[in-house]
Amino acid sequence: MSNGHEQAQVQVQARIQAGSMQVVMIGLGEEKFALDAGLVREIIDPVPATMVAGAKSFVPGVINVRGNVIPLADLRIRFGMPVTEDSADTRIVVVELNIDNEPVLVGVIADKVYEVTEISQTDVQPTPRVGMHWKPEFIRFITKWREEFVIVPSMERILN
Amino acid sequence: MSSIDPTEVFRQEASELFETLEGALLDLCQRPDDRELVDSAFRALHTIKGSGAMFGFDKVAAFTHEFETAFELVRKGEIKPTQELIAVALAAKDYIRALIEAPDGTDSIIGDAILDDLKQFVALPGEPAKPDVAEEAPAAKPAAHAGWRLYLEFDSHILCNGSNPLDLLDDLCKLGSCFAVPVIDGIPMLEELEPEYCYLKWDVTLHSDCDKAAIDDVFMFVEDEMKLTLTPLAAQAEVSLPEPGLLIELVEAEPIAEVAPVAEAVPAPVQAKEPAAKEVAAPAEQRRDEPKRSDEPKRSENIATVRVQAERLDELMDRVGELVIAQARLTQLAASGSDLSIKMIAEEIERLAASLRDTTMGARMVPIGSLFGRFRRLVHDLSRDLNKPVEFVTVGEDTELDKTMIECLADPLVHLIRNAIDHGIEDNDKRAAAGKTERGRIELTAVHSGAQVLVTVKDNGGGLNTARIRAKAEEQGLIAPSVALSDNEIHQFLFHPGFSTAQTISALSGRGVGMDVVKRTIENMRGSIDLTTRPGEGTTVTLRLPLTLAIIEGLLIRVGGGRYIIPLSAVEECVELMPEDQRSRGRNFLNVRGNLVPFLKLRELLVVPGSPDQHQKTIIISTGETRVGLVADQIIGNHQTVIKSLSKLHSDVTIFSGAAILGDGTAALILDVAQLVAAAQAQSEKQISEAA
Amino acid sequence: MATVLTVDDSPSIRQMIKVTLEPAGHSVIEAGDGAQGLAKAQSSRPDLVITDLNMPTMNGMELIRALRKQPTLTGLPIVFLTTESNDALKQEAKSAGATGWITKPFKPEQLLAVVSRLVRA
Repeated sequence: MSNGHEQAQVQVQARIQAGSMQVVMIGLGEEKFALDAGLVREIIDPVPATMVAGAKSFVPGVINVRGNVIPLADLRIRFGMPVTEDSADTRIVVVELNIDNEPVLVGVIADKVYEVTEISQTDVQPTPRVGMHWKPEFIRFITKWREEFVIVPSMERILN
Repeated sequence: MSSIDPTEVFRQEASELFETLEGALLDLCQRPDDRELVDSAFRALHTIKGSGAMFGFDKVAAFTHEFETAFELVRKGEIKPTQELIAVALAAKDYIRALIEAPDGTDSIIGDAILDDLKQFVALPGEPAKPDVAEEAPAAKPAAHAGWRLYLEFDSHILCNGSNPLDLLDDLCKLGSCFAVPVIDGIPMLEELEPEYCYLKWDVTLHSDCDKAAIDDVFMFVEDEMKLTLTPLAAQAEVSLPEPGLLIELVEAEPIAEVAPVAEAVPAPVQAKEPAAKEVAAPAEQRRDEPKRSDEPKRSENIATVRVQAERLDELMDRVGELVIAQARLTQLAASGSDLSIKMIAEEIERLAASLRDTTMGARMVPIGSLFGRFRRLVHDLSRDLNKPVEFVTVGEDTELDKTMIECLADPLVHLIRNAIDHGIEDNDKRAAAGKTERGRIELTAVHSGAQVLVTVKDNGGGLNTARIRAKAEEQGLIAPSVALSDNEIHQFLFHPGFSTAQTISALSGRGVGMDVVKRTIENMRGSIDLTTRPGEGTTVTLRLPLTLAIIEGLLIRVGGGRYIIPLSAVEECVELMPEDQRSRGRNFLNVRGNLVPFLKLRELLVVPGSPDQHQKTIIISTGETRVGLVADQIIGNHQTVIKSLSKLHSDVTIFSGAAILGDGTAALILDVAQLVAAAQAQSEKQISEAA
Repeated sequence: MATVLTVDDSPSIRQMIKVTLEPAGHSVIEAGDGAQGLAKAQSSRPDLVITDLNMPTMNGMELIRALRKQPTLTGLPIVFLTTESNDALKQEAKSAGATGWITKPFKPEQLLAVVSRLVRA
């Protein structure tokens, strides 16, 4: 599995260099995040989560996905955003990340999943140092989509 | 099916052959006259050589060839297998193994040195005999010729031995245009005719510019069973082919035999062959054998085994686990409904699922003897290196453990055995002075005990020096000199990281990195480790292990809105929590039949919101020597399920050892009771120091 | 096309033979020692037997002799595997009743050639 992930990473690099990247556009709180489509394994409806006492705040629980118990991550906590109730649009995006050279499946809460789309290099904005609510190392880069600013997060750094 | 790489099969096979070889060599130390052992060792060497050459391990083949030669002499009885020869043989086996597993990293100097040692015992031939490359006799320059005239006379038995002259004639015809006339003068009268014998000879005319070598090649397998007369046909010779009519005349003249009509190929007329031989190979009889069937030639009981790839067993286990989960949900659904027939079927499926799970778990069970075998070599080498004669006894080799556990046990056991020989067994003079037997004894046992397996390493050495351990512990600041501790508590310090009372650190052990790792490994397997010792008499290390790591037998409890599982092996009993037991301050204690047992409120430990239920339950658990009560809102019941590990992102949460999927699809966390108690202790100590 | 019985205590050799012959359309039955080989030859009636000489329980030489004693297996082509050009061994095997031989190590093509030579469609 990790081989596929590495390949996806390489492809993404190539494509960024080539000028474009496929992403899954999700909404979290007030912001829009673009998740590298190569990392996304599936998108599921919310399932009951089991809270894990003593876990890091941004991975508050675990969920059962196809017989695997995987961590549920709430990026809002990592970015200091307020946590709101689930709505009818809430989904869980299951991604496969490379942590310490091992593939790890993680379910990421999304308030809304918009679409799978392509973002291009030419729209990339430099990450501003000031006026940011959150740590710049959590962000790979910021780009524009439909006239809005979209954050492309660095998933491994956020969750590690 | 055939996607398996034969080279990989060879590696596995070589691995087993090495075990056999080592076992035979070690046994030869005790019984040098046992012919069977020599044969067994020889066969293993021979197979490694042959197969090695097949799969490209040329160095292995060449080196092994030398060894085979030496062992041939032992087999013939010309050399005796002395201890030194066996030691060299063992070294050779290691070298060959290294050549196969790490061909690039293995220096041929080692091999040469071993061969030099070998020469002491065996006069080796000057050069290793090279496997004979099929050499073609230098082809005689084919003289310009139109072909050959052949006269073929075969031994009468040739058909019985599987050769078919007609096939050979076909092959000749491939070389050029061919005309063959059977010669029938050798056919006896009917009374004397043996149906399986070949009485025909052939006079063949072959028009071809092929050379003699090509013809010899056709008859390669039968050259000893025939007489071949060859005459080259002159270049311009016109060979007049007999008219078909002439041949038919011959037929009529001799009613017994039929003659082949003129043709390029000679078809099959009189087949002086048992018809039964060929026809019965009916396709229906063709059984496709399971690709990995192999008997165990070593065991005298000849248990039929099937080799299965480990990943497949894991997959099977996963599927069975999922089946069990789905079946649990089915049972739940059936219970909540009123359809009787569905309830009955759900019950049936529950029975089948349980049986399937037991069988699958059984398939993962491997006798621990496979592990024990490895240690014989270790003991042999250690005993020799340290100059301490040691007897190694194993009991309970048939005791079965989950395959995943067998591997995890290897390193800890190696360490314990090393310790036993290095530190446990005294030097020869000390033993003599104490009036002990000349040989030390290391006993390795494995036995089932209830739902656990007990593995013990017992030595009859000097036992643990409690005073010295205490001294070292005080020296390292682990205890104050005035504190009273039981002997057992003092011995626990041995498991402290970096602790070692060895006066000298030998190359083998004593660096103190071992015992804490051993303990941790065993505890990671949900097992426990215990020491008992008698000064002057020896030490016994007991490992208690669960039968399997994959499935947990647990007690399902509810705390607030969440459900948790406590490993049943840790649970002693469950009691009600009476209101008078609840104190709001200080330590919480419970009165259980006169004993005071401290209890922990899981609601607090697990940070569960809301207020507790009215009637709470306490589950009394024990970890090692500690007994603690865990207070929960509800005890739901027993639950047996496949353990799912938590991901890396939750590796810092030590109070949970994993998760299990319940019948309704949600995950329940499995409590690691030892960690829970430690965490609680740490928490309360912190509260105490903060309050101070 | 042909049913080949391979008798060898080395699973890797048996595997190699299988992997070579099956793609060519032959079917392969395996046996781990001479005794098994004898039993399978009688029950499965292969078109050809390929046997190693060095095996436990019943070695190749004994197997060849035993096979030749079976009246129902007369004419069954038997090939033995030999590691060197050991003439004495070859002679012995041939006198025991073997049809042909293959020298180890052998290439897949050599194996296929011998099989085609001894088993005709």
